[in-house]
Amino acid sequence: MERLKRVRITSKGKVFEGLLLPSADRDFLVLKMDSGYNAGFRKEGAKVEELGEVKVDVGSGKDGASGGKRGEIAILGMGGTVCSRVEYKTGAVFPSIGPEDLARNIPGLEKICSFHTREIFSMLSEDMTPQHWAEAAEEIRKEIEKGVQGIVVLHGTDTMHYTSAALSFMLRNLPVPVVLVGAQRSSDRPSTDGRINVLNACFAAARGPIAEVGVCMHAGTDDDFCHLHRGTRVRKMHTTRRDAFHSINSPPLARVDYRNEIVEPYLQFRGRGGKLRFDNRVSENVALVYTHPGVKPEFIDSLAGYDGVVVAGTGLGHVPANPFNAKYTRSIVPNLKALVDSGIPVAMASQCISGRVNMNVYTAGRVLQEAGVFGHLADWTPETAYVKMCWVLGHEKKMEKVREEMMRDIAGEITGRSEIA
Amino acid sequence: MKCGLEIHQRLDTGKLFCRCPSAIAEREPDFRFRRKLRASAGETGEVDFAARVEQEKEKEFHYEGFAESCCLVEADEEPPQEMNPEALRIVLGVAQQLHMEPFEQLHVMRKIVVDGSNTSGFQRTCLVAAGGYLETSRGRVRMSTVAVEEESAGIVSEEAHVKNYRLDRLGIPLIELATEPDIVDAEHCKEVAEKIGLMLRATGKVARGIGTIRQDVNVSTEDGARIEIKGAQELRMIPLYVEKEVLRQERLLGVVAEIRKRLGDSALKPKAVDLTPIFAKTQCGLIRKGIEAGGHVLGIKLEGHAGLLGRELIPGRRYGTELSDYAKSAGVKGIIHSDEDFDKYGISAQEDSAARKGLGAGEEDAYVMVVAQRGMAQRALQMVVERANVRVVPAETRKANPDGTSSYMRPLAGRSRMYPETDIPPIAVGKGMLEEAMAAAGGGLEEKERKLRGMLNPEMAGRMLKSRNLQLFEELVGAGAEPMLAASTLEQTLVEMRREGLELGRPREQLMELFAEYGNGLFVKAAIPEILRGMCRGKRAREAAEGLERIGGAELKRLVKEKGGDFGKIMREYRLRVDAKELKEAIGR
Repeated sequence: MERLKRVRITSKGKVFEGLLLPSADRDFLVLKMDSGYNAGFRKEGAKVEELGEVKVDVGSGKDGASGGKRGEIAILGMGGTVCSRVEYKTGAVFPSIGPEDLARNIPGLEKICSFHTREIFSMLSEDMTPQHWAEAAEEIRKEIEKGVQGIVVLHGTDTMHYTSAALSFMLRNLPVPVVLVGAQRSSDRPSTDGRINVLNACFAAARGPIAEVGVCMHAGTDDDFCHLHRGTRVRKMHTTRRDAFHSINSPPLARVDYRNEIVEPYLQFRGRGGKLRFDNRVSENVALVYTHPGVKPEFIDSLAGYDGVVVAGTGLGHVPANPFNAKYTRSIVPNLKALVDSGIPVAMASQCISGRVNMNVYTAGRVLQEAGVFGHLADWTPETAYVKMCWVLGHEKKMEKVREEMMRDIAGEITGRSEIA
Repeated sequence: MKCGLEIHQRLDTGKLFCRCPSAIAEREPDFRFRRKLRASAGETGEVDFAARVEQEKEKEFHYEGFAESCCLVEADEEPPQEMNPEALRIVLGVAQQLHMEPFEQLHVMRKIVVDGSNTSGFQRTCLVAAGGYLETSRGRVRMSTVAVEEESAGIVSEEAHVKNYRLDRLGIPLIELATEPDIVDAEHCKEVAEKIGLMLRATGKVARGIGTIRQDVNVSTEDGARIEIKGAQELRMIPLYVEKEVLRQERLLGVVAEIRKRLGDSALKPKAVDLTPIFAKTQCGLIRKGIEAGGHVLGIKLEGHAGLLGRELIPGRRYGTELSDYAKSAGVKGIIHSDEDFDKYGISAQEDSAARKGLGAGEEDAYVMVVAQRGMAQRALQMVVERANVRVVPAETRKANPDGTSSYMRPLAGRSRMYPETDIPPIAVGKGMLEEAMAAAGGGLEEKERKLRGMLNPEMAGRMLKSRNLQLFEELVGAGAEPMLAASTLEQTLVEMRREGLELGRPREQLMELFAEYGNGLFVKAAIPEILRGMCRGKRAREAAEGLERIGGAELKRLVKEKGGDFGKIMREYRLRVDAKELKEAIGR
């Protein structure tokens, strides 16, 4: 419950009554009039009379369970638009609804499965760190050990693909599905995509056969079915569209349609059962950097304080190497070599996003390999390569071991064949 | 009786919250997509009733879009951009002309509308100013508010579970002006609507054509309720809507009084009964088709309502029609009730009495049936009961019917239907913005009238002020055309030609050319209709003037000499090529 004041404002000889809302701008009073409209009045020159108080239900935000018991699945809240509501102080959409409110806001959820909800973080996904991934993995492990049929994680969409990749490495040999889900249109809107995304995610977690870390989001602009993407393959590819999430260098894992009770796999997948292999140790000291025309060698030198570096190179996995001594150009290869020589592993991914790294084709790639930069033939996304480096460095320090671990497929992040379609 | 007007006028600018042009498409769409909507809690935690009612229909919405006029904003796939500054300037200009006080900080709101007419599930709307007045022949009519909002998507068709919309219209700016209930009668209502319409057209920035202006009528009666009648297309119909609404409320109060007399305050709580078996072999086509399509016949008893459902409120609408409108909002096509002529439906006396028996309805009771899928039929009957239990005139938004009557659309929207558009920061309105808006409005309607009187005769000035050609007239005069000639060409010559089936393809450019050539002395006034005829057929002004060139100067003098200075004779023969005044001078009269 929140309390709002009912007031009468007299401004420029005209009188308005309504609820006084917190204003983001200190110079203005914001009034919600009885017509429902808001309007702002300059504080200076406005007379305000208080008329009383009104209680406003802003949701409980409490954790709970459907039917009072532990459910078949656990819905874990980690913030984001999918658990958001309007915040008066700034007038912005903020993550603060507890998962219980969300469950209440999604009619039909109780028909799919029983569930309990728990809020782990209430935050914006752009604020997440590797430590948050580790903590999330720990919370998921607890739920799995208590015997749930599946886990759904409500997450902000900005960095959902980082978290899904991290959980893919930390939670291997999963006995049950772990499905991350978000919304591109906030849940306070009638047109939210979150409702269908969450229903499909819950269906995949409770009833689906795929015991992997996945991301479940709209497959197209229609409010129709969703795609379940492999945690290490998925990437947010659009700032706003409902179908922003795509699997890179791979088809999606499956099509999910709760209305027709379908989880239709497109790929070979890990089934339910088995014993969880858990390792959430992670380094927080890795950099993911973009190379670009005119990138300065000094910038690479400034990375010396990191324990590992992932470079999102151009094309096949290139950086300025200047083999033909073009004027103006300064190679950064010696600087990368210096990082490697000082014991900092440097991995290559491509800023093309789609396609495989190949450092044999052009000179730049060859000199990078000679300098000790690895990633040749990896078809990973830059984000997955970064997350993997964080995870590998969490329990491995030796350069040779790190390189070996990085180049070995652990959670579907590297595949040998580039399929045509 | 009290009546206020709400006028919605489309502005002739680009769209309000994206940079798409406001272009209506008349062809097959370029893309389609499908969506669902659900009501959500507003800022104050309530879910608006009007929004909930729509949601109960569980419809799927199909949208058709056009590449040139719809972007990701219309598709609800991208946040809105800043408000179109031109649209805001126009609204601020109109507000000031109506002596209204603009708010110092504007907040764009989301008005929940889950009927699918907005892909987002809300209409973006922004209150711009309040207060003010309009001078009329019956005294001042107070203005209550002016807002700028998004036009909704246009509906194409509706099926049982699907509504089809087109997106070209979505997002076009609308100015919404509302008056206080100061309008005293039907004629006054018409005057107010006309005056405001005139003021809007005088901005030169409003869209033209059918559907670009809509008048909603707010009617309140003393013992009745506030009713908003939406979508009156024609001004001349407004008095009729007001008259009929007043009558409807009066008669409805009579029905309510009768129900109170019979039942007191006790609410009806009938149970829906499945009557399908009774109609297994029915001759009633409507019911038979419904059952064949997998539907059920569900009925409810309305205790003590015998004879009331058939009571006429206004010609063509009975109390039963009101209940039927509510049932329709659940998606059914209508209801069958016991005050209707069952012979007409093909319902037999046996079926009637079996239905009565099944529902436990006696002689004093009425009953209502619907034929539909079970869930939909149940919701429809629930709506009927909810309506029947309202023992006052309910506050409603109603749809204007072409015959002057109106039908229930939805409950009057409450304030919980609004919450802030969080994607758009508040807009501070400074003095500079207001002055700029006033300057862009060209001093407003009064100033325009003064200017017109200065250059035209009073009759033509009055006519021009109301004309849809006003803006074109101003442009032509601005380019050097003689005002009286430009006005008569626009208001008389072109009108006559239209009767002949002739029309200019590009009126603005072609008239500019015509007056430029006239100014060059290529032809005389009298030749203009003939030249315009040629131009309507696609000729350039010069081509159309071939053989009609002005005879002047030395040539005219020669002609005067040749014809012996006979004014009448020359004018008869060369009427289209000689200017009378010039001829008089040449003859030396």
